[in-house]
Amino acid sequence: MKTIFTVAAAAVFGLASGALAADLPDLGGQEVVVATENAYPPLQFMDPKTGNAIGWEYDAMAEIAKRINITVVYENSSWDAMIPAVSEGQYDLGMTGITIREDRMEKVDFSDKYLTSQMRMIVAGDESRFDDAAGFAANSDFLAAAQPGTTPFYVTVYDILDGDEANPRIKLFENFGAAIQALRVGDVDLALSDSTAANGYVTASNGGLKIVGEPLGTEDFGFIFPKGSKLVPSINAAIASMEADGTLEALNTKWFLDYKLGQ
Amino acid sequence: MAASSNDKEDFPWWLAAVVLIGLYLGWQVVASELYLQILTTLTKGIKTTIFVTIVSFTLASLLGLLLALGAGSKWLVVRQVTRFYVEVVRGVPIIVLLLYVAFALAPALVELRNYLGDMIGLEPIRTRQFPLIWRAIIALMVAYSAFISEVFRAGLQAVEEGQIEAAKALGLNGWQQFRLVIFPQAIRTIMPPLGNDFVALVKDSSLVSVLGVLDVTQLGKVIAAGNFRYFETYNVVALIYLTMTISLSLALRRFERHLRDKETTE
Repeated sequence: MKTIFTVAAAAVFGLASGALAADLPDLGGQEVVVATENAYPPLQFMDPKTGNAIGWEYDAMAEIAKRINITVVYENSSWDAMIPAVSEGQYDLGMTGITIREDRMEKVDFSDKYLTSQMRMIVAGDESRFDDAAGFAANSDFLAAAQPGTTPFYVTVYDILDGDEANPRIKLFENFGAAIQALRVGDVDLALSDSTAANGYVTASNGGLKIVGEPLGTEDFGFIFPKGSKLVPSINAAIASMEADGTLEALNTKWFLDYKLGQ
Repeated sequence: MAASSNDKEDFPWWLAAVVLIGLYLGWQVVASELYLQILTTLTKGIKTTIFVTIVSFTLASLLGLLLALGAGSKWLVVRQVTRFYVEVVRGVPIIVLLLYVAFALAPALVELRNYLGDMIGLEPIRTRQFPLIWRAIIALMVAYSAFISEVFRAGLQAVEEGQIEAAKALGLNGWQQFRLVIFPQAIRTIMPPLGNDFVALVKDSSLVSVLGVLDVTQLGKVIAAGNFRYFETYNVVALIYLTMTISLSLALRRFERHLRDKETTE
């Protein structure tokens, strides 16, 4: 049923996008260097079977490129280096599920949001001492894992704990996989992640992990650009047209529902 | 040199143990589709790791040698400047050096290049034309040159004063003294710790992953993020680094023994 609807929607919206495309800017094949890390499934990751970079953001960028006529060149970056590198103009655009945040806007320009994600609580599979954020916050023995500078870190600090970024109840890890391992061996009791990655880890853990509680707040993802980039209005126009004709929704269905992570 | 005769006789039990573990892990890799997939993808990073290691080690050795000679200079300014460089660089974590070089030194170098290029009519280049892999290599070169210069300095100072006097008495000039008398003797003291630094650099080259350089470590990070199999992935990463470092250690031992044998037969 869902497939039929998607196909029908694509057909209808496909016509609509033809009409809309006429209003979009044409950048004449201009080269745009895009920084990616490929470590954020299903937005961008390495297909475990083929080793190729795939994901929601690659599909979206390909569609944007078609609509505003740009040539995309991908370069690998790491999360630590991406914001400084884009800020100094090393790349024209950075994408890796970057949450639109005020403090980051001092360094880089953001596009309009192209995706909204929810934050979930991951705990050990046999966790029975708490099942929501308040229950976790109430006991000062419970520890959380987070990567410094990421949205899960800030949500843990401000939405679950007391707003103290140096709170000793947060154990910092260099990457999310390490945080998950700490959770599995019992060094910490909680780790936050957006719903997609959370589901991926839980599926791959064979019962070692589970998700508890309600989703915590939402985050909007945007592309980042060097300050004053002239690309922003064109990319925004493409995002708006993809939102309007259902392309973004179709990508959500493809990558969040139909694609099975970690298998 | 008396102590070294022992490790000639010792049967390398540790190596036998390593080989057994390696065989076991190797069998795991071949038997499991997941491990095999990880290994296949990771192999793409080995070339980068080796390239980064060899280039930055070569450059660091050259700079280290210059620094060591600077430390023994007859001019106070040169001696103090070298000392300053070695002490400061040796005390800063490599990961911090990497970020400094990539995002402070590299843009400054590009600016300098454009300033100088402007005078002779060259087109200005942009920072992005300075690839991150070369910024990473420069950072590793800077970091390791400080350690290596100390190795060279110790080796050069270990050459007896009488040898230099004899060389002078033979009428050799400064360069000839260094090339024919001092360096051939110093190299035997230098080799073991220098080899040690090389093995350490194979591992430390993994730090370039913070700049997104696609070496074995960065690929491991990316793979683990995609398949959610953190342990399996890092097992393979460890296996690859161990294979590189242990075979390198064995090669270095052979080479040291070769130097030693040459010394005794001379």
